[in-house]
Amino acid sequence: MTKPGLVRGVVMDAGGRPVAGARVSFRSGPGPLPDIAALTGSDGTFALTAPFAGRYELAAFGDEGAPGTATVTVAQGETATVTLRLARRA
Amino acid sequence: MAKKTIRGLGPHTPVTNEIEEKAPVGKAASKPPSEGKNPRTTKPSPEGTEQVEGFQPRARLEGAEPEMTAPDTSALRDIAEASFGPPPAQLETVHGPDDRVQIKNTSAYPWRVHCSLLITAADNSSWIGTGWFIGPRTLITAGHVVYITNSGVPGRDGWVKRIQVMPGRNGSKLPYGSVTSTSFRSVTGWTQGGGENYDYGAIILPKPLGDTVGWFGFGVFSDADLKASMANISGYPGDQPSGTQWYDARKVDSVNTRKVYYDIDTYGGQSGSAVYRIINGGRYAVAIHAYGGPTTNSGTRIVTPVFNNMVVWKG
Repeated sequence: MTKPGLVRGVVMDAGGRPVAGARVSFRSGPGPLPDIAALTGSDGTFALTAPFAGRYELAAFGDEGAPGTATVTVAQGETATVTLRLARRA
Repeated sequence: MAKKTIRGLGPHTPVTNEIEEKAPVGKAASKPPSEGKNPRTTKPSPEGTEQVEGFQPRARLEGAEPEMTAPDTSALRDIAEASFGPPPAQLETVHGPDDRVQIKNTSAYPWRVHCSLLITAADNSSWIGTGWFIGPRTLITAGHVVYITNSGVPGRDGWVKRIQVMPGRNGSKLPYGSVTSTSFRSVTGWTQGGGENYDYGAIILPKPLGDTVGWFGFGVFSDADLKASMANISGYPGDQPSGTQWYDARKVDSVNTRKVYYDIDTYGGQSGSAVYRIINGGRYAVAIHAYGGPTTNSGTRIVTPVFNNMVVWKG
């Protein structure tokens, strides 16, 4: 098996505080991906496997605030980092 | 938990998949559903979908092809790829209009058969997924829900530590409580190879909750049968309010000897959901939802070797 890429990140609330228990998954990516979602740890962090090189869009959903999204490009076997910010609901 | 790869070495003994590679889909076979106790069953529609307020199945028959058409060139690559390489395809698990509707009466059959899963992996990371009953103590789900392969994260790969199972969850409400399992099943095609075609597994519960909530039947069906079927999926997507159940249905798009493809809207958290059809009012799973793809989503098809494993796991 080839070494996959990784997306490591943190989910923050609108005030810049880490959000525990946010649901994070890929919204789009370069190929078929497992339809599973990570829950952020107590420090708001997560790590998702990116099995294909290419561009991924991630989304984070918390119990409060609008979802946060980000786009990141991942090289094979490399780790990309990202910050997802939950916005205040209008 | 240690990875066990040899038959007969404890509760996680995998079933070999070697025969599967050579096997065709197999003869039609099925196991019946059960509606459990006091089911208050929601009656299905004559079209083979569930009757849910606000749900309108799309009219287009995804699998139908008119007799006189121009050749379908959509799968052919752009000539520019010869010079510049392939463009990155983009996965979208919700394709076009989002047809999903929320299920509110999750304590009734068939909705209570679907379970919200809270998964704790070997590295203590947490995940959400979906599973569904096939017997008193047995749920079926995706292989990657119970066993993580080639994650690239130190300490994560292998059997997950535990899964909290919540039948018919509706947000913060747990109409049948929850039970935690540490007993899982999968096949070597997944645990050793990480093969998408073998991405299925089982969760064994310490309590027979299925006797109360009921279970789905499951079966091996022909290509023609599947392509003529409406496929139904209900599960727990992560883009909706936490722990709420959402349903969608659409015609099966295509099948091969290991997978079923469909344009049913799903989202991260629905891995492991039943892909099921309705026959004479009974719900029969035909696949296990596992992947979101660029144009269609897909599940592991229940063919004879999968069916046989499910029968063994059902107990």
